[in-house]
Amino acid sequence: MNSPNSAPQFDAHNYARPNQKWTCGHACEGRACRSGPDAWGRCQATSECRPVLETKPGETKGRWRCTRTEGACDEGPLPDGTCCRPIPKCAPVPTLRVWRGRITVGVVCLSSALLLLLTGHPVWRNRFINPGPVSRVHSSTAFTSRALTNGAAGNCAACHIAGDRGPDGILQAALQARPGMLELGELIRQPAGHPTGMDTACLRCHGGRNFHQPTAPLVSCSVCHAEHQGRVMAAAQDQNCGFCHANSATMTVARRPAVIHHFATDHPEFRFRTDQLADPDTLRFNHALHLTGATMPRLPGGSKLDCASCHQPDATGAYMRPVKFADHCRVCHSLQFDPDTSQLQLPHGSAGFVSAFLRSLSKQYADLAAREHPADVTTFVQQKLAGLRATVGSGEELERRVFFSSSVAGPEARIGSLSGATRAIFPGCAYCHEVKAAAPGNAIITPPVQTERWLGRARFNHAKHTGVECAQCHDARHSQATADILLPGRAACVVCHSPAGGVRDACSECHTYHQPPQIAAR
Amino acid sequence: MKRHRRQLFTGLPLLLVATVVTGYLHRRHAGALPGYAFLTGWVLLAAMLVLTFYNVWKKLPFLPFGRSEFWLQLHLYLGYFTVVLFLVHLNFRPPRGVFEIVLAALFTFVSASGVVGILLSRVLPRRLATRGGEVIYEKIPALRVACRTQAEALAVGPDSQSVVIGEFYLHRLADFFARPRNFWWHLAESRRPVAALLRELEDVQRTGSEAERVALAKLAELVRQKDGLDYHRSVQLSLKLWLFVHIPLTYGLLVFTALHLALVYGFSGGAR
Repeated sequence: MNSPNSAPQFDAHNYARPNQKWTCGHACEGRACRSGPDAWGRCQATSECRPVLETKPGETKGRWRCTRTEGACDEGPLPDGTCCRPIPKCAPVPTLRVWRGRITVGVVCLSSALLLLLTGHPVWRNRFINPGPVSRVHSSTAFTSRALTNGAAGNCAACHIAGDRGPDGILQAALQARPGMLELGELIRQPAGHPTGMDTACLRCHGGRNFHQPTAPLVSCSVCHAEHQGRVMAAAQDQNCGFCHANSATMTVARRPAVIHHFATDHPEFRFRTDQLADPDTLRFNHALHLTGATMPRLPGGSKLDCASCHQPDATGAYMRPVKFADHCRVCHSLQFDPDTSQLQLPHGSAGFVSAFLRSLSKQYADLAAREHPADVTTFVQQKLAGLRATVGSGEELERRVFFSSSVAGPEARIGSLSGATRAIFPGCAYCHEVKAAAPGNAIITPPVQTERWLGRARFNHAKHTGVECAQCHDARHSQATADILLPGRAACVVCHSPAGGVRDACSECHTYHQPPQIAAR
Repeated sequence: MKRHRRQLFTGLPLLLVATVVTGYLHRRHAGALPGYAFLTGWVLLAAMLVLTFYNVWKKLPFLPFGRSEFWLQLHLYLGYFTVVLFLVHLNFRPPRGVFEIVLAALFTFVSASGVVGILLSRVLPRRLATRGGEVIYEKIPALRVACRTQAEALAVGPDSQSVVIGEFYLHRLADFFARPRNFWWHLAESRRPVAALLRELEDVQRTGSEAERVALAKLAELVRQKDGLDYHRSVQLSLKLWLFVHIPLTYGLLVFTALHLALVYGFSGGAR
């Protein structure tokens, strides 16, 4: 470094001034003037010197002297005191630095103008700033009309203050936001999932949120439901559920000791298994016999009895419709009580109807005769009643056998017939149903209860599992008792629903956070 | 060189540590910390402003903020780290929507131009030193004019006696001396164009008289000088031109970032 007193070592005449904004227009010719342009790019060249007037003692006019640093010129100053060698004016040239500054200012101005234009135009604004497609529901015409009812100017304004505003409105909304722009501490101190102003907008339409647990903490809707992610709003992520379920402290408070991170790793066994629940249905049904019994007759048409013969999906395909006697059992299990009269069958569905039917047998036979033997009704009825009396004895005995007999062995116990039009015998109601004796001559049949869903807090879709054999999940071939709950355990699901199995195992595959009120109240 | 190595051995570990710590914090707080995207956004904006301040700092050298060298190193490593912060802010997902895509593209261009600038700043000065000569960029036009004047005096000046040299100059050399030439060839470190020109000069020289040979030898020397000037101009201009992309886009990015900030607060925090 030079000492403070040292003279500058550069040629001042040819100093290039690279840090200045303008260079002399003659610099490219190697004739840059000494003064150079001013800060605004104006040429400052005048003349080679500024003559000085020297007046000797006794003189009145005096004499102009050349002050050129290179030495006085031969011509000398003009009579009026101006230099005789004017420096030709140049057009100063902006340096690269100036060009860079101009381009920078240009880019800033262009960017600002473009952004103002795009955010100022209502149609362009929404297309430009929208971070992604809004879900189908929140972009529907129904939502628009709902938003208008709520006093908003449109779909965007239904949720966002600045939704229908221009740049000034956006800025105003940003400045009024809470926590504000400079309230970073507030951002950090907020509890996780803290409700925001956006939730107010959500609750305008989605009032009365039902949480699946009363102890579930109040979290912002947007923690789980992210909008602007596509036409279909994405399901909640596992980490959203893990907010409580993976937190041992929260789960202890909720008196649910299981901490769950993922279905495949630490989801507890289904409760019907851990609690060893049994199907409470009183109907006696043997799955194993129906599916594997050697004496099982074939269905009309020759097909073999299988799961689909009785269990048929509902309209959505998600669940199975309830099994009904008329649709699924009667094809084999006839209610023929008179072995010789296949046309006459007991009614099904009410013990009272059965009693009434049996107590009006002569009328029933007469109606049958009127249809099939109109010429001799009386004789037909008498013959039939005599036949029954010979087999059963009295009408009371017939009614007792119809209701309470469950024996399939011995002719005295049998009411129906193994032969004839039916494929299965009718030993009596008690063969399938729980029949209780009531007042003398009456019976009470416990109505069968078919549990629609065993996993009430989860959902299942049979339609998505058509590629899997029924027996892979439902072990019906080995079930002989109605009490068996023929659902698979967690392990069977994990085979596929796990990272190893390759099928999604997210919580939202089966569970819904917001349960219907009746389930949430359980 | 030693200094560069020392800076590398200090800056690179710091950058790696900062990256690892950021990755750890992201993994731990990404889903749990409320306003995480806001916080990462503010950190990113702060980093961007510090980076931009380097440009301002250079214009205000009287401010007591330390040596420029330190600020340059800080600018470089913070620049790399800002890319990490940017990815964290995006949660390692691609941007969505027109505005976000434009914003991300701007950031990418600024970062990429910065990386290109670093590479040029590392490579080109070494090339200049290898080629030799020290020419101030601003003086190149004057030197080129001087070169041309000498060449014209040799070839077509009043003292020139050779019609062959005059014609050769007018047909082949006048355009070469008139303006900067072979920008891309020089950047590619290729001397093919000037070698071809010198070969043509040699061909003329071979058949010329003794006086013509002397003049042509001087002319060849001037061609080499002019080529050297063009080389310096190409390389030095490249060292300056990348800033024409980097700096304007940086300020453009800041304008877009300001709108991003307003949109984020206006539409998320300032919900209806």
